[in-house]
Parts: sequence; structure tokens; C-alpha cells
Amino acid sequence: MTTRESRKHRFAIAITALIVGVLLAGGLAGAADEIVLGAAISQTGKYAREGKFYVDAYTLVVEAVNKAGGVKVGGKTYQLALKLYDDQSDPSLSVRLFTKLATSDKVNFLLGPYSSGITIPASAVAEKYEIPMIQGGGASGKIFDRGYKYIFGTLPKAELYFQSAIEAASKLSPPVRTAALLFSNEAFDRSVGEGARQWLKDAKIDKVYDEEYQPATQDFTSILAVIKTKNPDLILVAGHEENSLNFIRQAQAAGVNPRMMVFTVGPPTGDFRKTLGKAAEYVYGVTPWLPDMEIGGQIFAAARDFDKQFQARFGYGADYHVASGAADVLAFKAAIERAQSLDPKKVRDALAALDVETLYGRMKFEPTGQIAMSQVLVQILDGKVVPVYVAGKFVSKPVYPTPKWNERR
Amino acid sequence: MLLLQVLINGLLLGGLYGIMALGMSLIWGVMNIVNVAHGALIMLGAYLAFWMFHLWGLDPFLSLPLTIAALFVYGYCLQRWVLNLVVRAQLFLTLLITFGVEVVMINVARLLWSSDLRQVTPAYAAANFEIGQLTIPWVRLWVFATTLVLSVVFLVVLEHTRLGRAIRATSEELRAARLTGIPVAHIYAVTFGLGAALAGAAGGLWGMLFPITPMMGGSLTLKSFVVAVLGGLGTMMGAIVGGLALGLTESFAGTYLGPTYPNAISFGLLVLILIFRPTGILGRRT
Repeated sequence: MTTRESRKHRFAIAITALIVGVLLAGGLAGAADEIVLGAAISQTGKYAREGKFYVDAYTLVVEAVNKAGGVKVGGKTYQLALKLYDDQSDPSLSVRLFTKLATSDKVNFLLGPYSSGITIPASAVAEKYEIPMIQGGGASGKIFDRGYKYIFGTLPKAELYFQSAIEAASKLSPPVRTAALLFSNEAFDRSVGEGARQWLKDAKIDKVYDEEYQPATQDFTSILAVIKTKNPDLILVAGHEENSLNFIRQAQAAGVNPRMMVFTVGPPTGDFRKTLGKAAEYVYGVTPWLPDMEIGGQIFAAARDFDKQFQARFGYGADYHVASGAADVLAFKAAIERAQSLDPKKVRDALAALDVETLYGRMKFEPTGQIAMSQVLVQILDGKVVPVYVAGKFVSKPVYPTPKWNERR
Repeated sequence: MLLLQVLINGLLLGGLYGIMALGMSLIWGVMNIVNVAHGALIMLGAYLAFWMFHLWGLDPFLSLPLTIAALFVYGYCLQRWVLNLVVRAQLFLTLLITFGVEVVMINVARLLWSSDLRQVTPAYAAANFEIGQLTIPWVRLWVFATTLVLSVVFLVVLEHTRLGRAIRATSEELRAARLTGIPVAHIYAVTFGLGAALAGAAGGLWGMLFPITPMMGGSLTLKSFVVAVLGGLGTMMGAIVGGLALGLTESFAGTYLGPTYPNAISFGLLVLILIFRPTGILGRRT
């Protein structure tokens, strides 16, 4: 009897000690002094490549912020921490993981997944639990036109993708008078196309061809045959990287020679230029960000420094995906310090009113939550991405008109 | 003039579709296996050509015989030691096992070579010549010529050699073939090897025209399937005719109806053929 009771007693003490120990350890680990940013992002599956850009960007910026003294709220210093899951490029898994982050992991704030298709459902979770999410991987208008309060995005609007290109085209000499517009029938590229129609109209450029194509299209020869008969000065193509590659190669083989050819996706990425080789020369592209742009802010004084550190750490250069992801973490730091609180609602309001300079440029969100930012028109020259037209001004002289295919060396 | 250009574009691409479908049609006709891994075999051929070009600088046309030989050996082994286990099982089972082979091949390719887009880019890749207002890319013309030569060689082998007769005999009357001393398991493996070799050739040629990725095979399996059914199963000429028909259909639909229509029209055509001529354009009535 006594032995049993004392055994019971000892057991109770052990349990208590264990609980106290865990609590203490938890306290010592600094759970209270940490701000946890959670995200589910594609580390496997079809978006694994782009997903890695964001994981690496988040990792580097969180480390840099902590090294620079963390986030200061009301005289107290917090360290940033990341809680990342792999959504396997699957939208429904992404929703389950974001729900887990919001409910059982109870992270403070959310970073985004990659691709519009996954961001649309994932952002609904953030809205439901009223936790601010800043995402750098989805640009579709569908993410922002639902009246959500807690979603912020750092990729420019789809409708704006060709704005700078068309504006620049109308100012070149000899002026661009006719344009062919081609876009895939995916939601995002359709928005790009709709925007382009408006910009072409504003610039008084005649639209001689305006068609949609299927994203799986490999063979553009019949499209090119028709475009060739229209002989446009400008060709605008919205689609995936593979579409851009096929279009350029086949335009060369078909001898289609516009004065200017612009693509939404491809030109700024390194392996695009590697795959195309010389055929990539003189092609125009758009990007919200380039490492050698004269911008910078907190933590990273210049975009160039960020690119250098990123390259040293991960062995590849930063592109706009990386910069956009980095900007998301920096926006949280700025907004939390502005709100002087970790309260989700207060931080949300601070984000809505945010206006800071960062390595990604000026961070200011429109009422919809999407960043107010235009695209930079770039041209590939000697295998390098050269910015041509930034925020309404030419920053370098493009090689225009594009040399004809058969007159190149 | 546009009409003629569209016609040429369609024909040139159609040749490639034809040789893609030839291998599938052969395997289907002889062994009654719908080879879901056909596109993966094309992918493998494309990567072989890419690596021989990239690492050794070997011209993709010159490396074609090597690709074909490698895929033949691969196909032979695959049939002899994997697919042979289910060769006379229900169609569903053979579908399942070739599907499994496809999944394994694609994922191994992703592990080994990553999902980056790659392209075989010989110096003449984008060269063309003009006749009047027509523009004809040299590579497409050579690819087309190669598919014709390979198809003719293949048809001659099938019609006029001992091996070809053995393959046809096995396909037509299995028991009689076995009684006359034809080593059926070997013939099956050779047939699959030939099918894989044709897929490899198609892959090597495909990589000269389009970028390649480990996932490229899925849509090509579907295309080969459509072409094989269009042309008529079991008839080898049917695959060629079906390929040209699909190439022309896509080209005309894409030009005159709009770039979103080629698939709708191609599959619509498939449905019509299945309703009104279930044995395909050149198929025999059974």
C-alpha cells in the first residue's frame, strides 16, 4: 500500500518535473521572442524549381534580418524564424498545410506559395484566419479581386506586363505602327493580353493580329505563317518559358523579322539564354527586377549586394522571383516595426499603409493588396540582360530595329 | 501562298508524327499492347541525342543510328524480362505495366537530368531557304526526309525479310507460328525493340525541332495513339498516312480556325473516324 502510494507520488513528481522542464526549455528556446513566418511552398513537383528560389530567398533574408538585430517592437527585440512545408506543387495539399500553419502551428504571419494557381486557394486560408500573407509568387488578378483584406502580393499586375514595352515601342524611331498580340488561354496570360490591348490602343499602335493559343502548343509554324503575312513591327507573346523558346526558334526558321519581339517569360532567366544560344540575341523581355538596378533599402543597401550575398550562399544568381520573395520578408519587418505590435490586424493595417524602399524597389501596395509597380523592359545583348526602359524613361539605347535573322553573323 | 505554306508546314511535321506512331502501331498490332510508355521512349531517344550532341559534339543526324541501336537494345530487354510477364494478359494489365514503366522512366530522367528545358542546337538549326514567298526550314525538311527513309526501310524489313515474315506470322496466327518453329518470345522482344527504336528515332528528330524535358512524353504518347488509330491499327502504311493527316489537320485548323483549335479538331476527327470507319483510314475490315 505505502509502496504503491509512494510510487504514485514519485510518478506524479516526475510528470510535474517533466512538464515544468518542457515549459522552461520552451521558454529558454525563445519561443516568446520569436516571430514565426510560415509558408507551404513547392519543393517537389512541377514548381520545384521556382519554389526553391523562394525558399532560398526567405532563408537568406531571415538570417540577414536576425544578424542585423532582428525586429524591434516596443523596445523588445524579436528574432525571425521560418516554418516551411512542401506543398508538392499541389493546391489542395497547400490549403491543408496553410490551415495547419494557421491553426496548430499558430505561426505569426504567412509568406506565400509559388504560382497563381496555388496562391488563389492558399490565400483564402489566410483570409479566413485573418493572418496577413505577403506572397511573391502569384500575379493573377484573381488573387486580388475578391475583396480580401489580408493578402498582399509583390509581383506586378498581369495587365501591366506589356505596358512598358508598348510605351517604349511607341517612342522608338522608326516608330512601331503595327503589332501582333499572341497569348496563351490561361487566366494569367489572358489578363496580360487584355492589358496589352488597352496599352496598344493608348499608344495608337494598330493591332494586326490578336489570337489565343493553347499553353501546350509546341508547333507555332501555322501561327507564324499567318503573322508573317501581316508583317507586324512588334510581336508580343505571353506564355510559359517553353512557349517563348519554341516561338523564337521557329520564328527564326520561318524567317519572321519584326522590329521588336517581346516575351513575358524567359529572357531574364539564365538557362533560357543558355538553351537558345545566339537566337536569344536582341529579344526583349520584361521583368520587375534586375540585380544591377539602382535600388536598395533596409538590410540590403543595394540590389547588387543582395545578389552578391545570394550568389555566395546558394551558388546561383538572384532573379525577380528571388527578389520578390526577399521583399516579402522585408515588408513584414517594416510593417511590424511600423505597427509596433504583433497583432495580425494592426500589422495588416501597417502593410496597407506601407511605403518603404527595399532591394526590390518601392514597396507600396494598392488597395487590392497588389504592389504598385511597373515592369522593366529588357533586351538581351551579348548574352546579357540589359535594362532598356524603366518607369517611363529609356535608360539605355536598345538595338532597334532588330537585325534580320539572315543578316546576323 | 499562305495555303501552300500551311500545306508544307503540315506535311513536314506530319512525317515526324508518322514515325512516332509507327512504333506504337507495330507493338500494338503484333502484341496487342497499348504501350503507354511510348512517349517516354521518345523522351529517352531525345535525351540520348541531346547528350551525344552536348558532350561529344555529335551531330544529331549522325547520332541517330546510335540512338536507334540503343533504344532497340533497351526495348528488347524491357519486353523480354518485364513486359513478357503479361504479354497475353488482359489489356488492362498491359496498360498498367507500361504505365508503370513510363512513371519510372520519367522520374529517373528527372533525377538524372533535372526538369530543365534542353535543346539540340546544331549550327544549321534555324537555317531556311525561300522559294518565292515560301519559307522552308532546312532542319524540318531533313527531318521529314529522314522519317521517310526510315519508314521505307522499316516497311521493307517487315514485308520482305525472314524476320519481317516471322513478326507478321506471330501477329496473325500465334499457334501456327509457334508450330513452324518461330521463337515467339524472341520475336516479341525484337518487335518491341523495333518499336522502341522507332520511338528513339522520333525522339532524336523531335529534339532538333522542339525543347525537351523529362515530362515531354505524355502528350506524345497521346499523339502517337491518335495517329495510330486514325491511320488504321496494324497497317504500317496507316501510321504514316495518319501522321501526315494529323500534321495537315493541325496546320490548317491552327491557321484558318485559330491557334486554340488544333486539338479540338484532331480529336474530333478521331471520333468521326472511329464512328464511320472504325478500322482507320487504311485499316483492313475484320
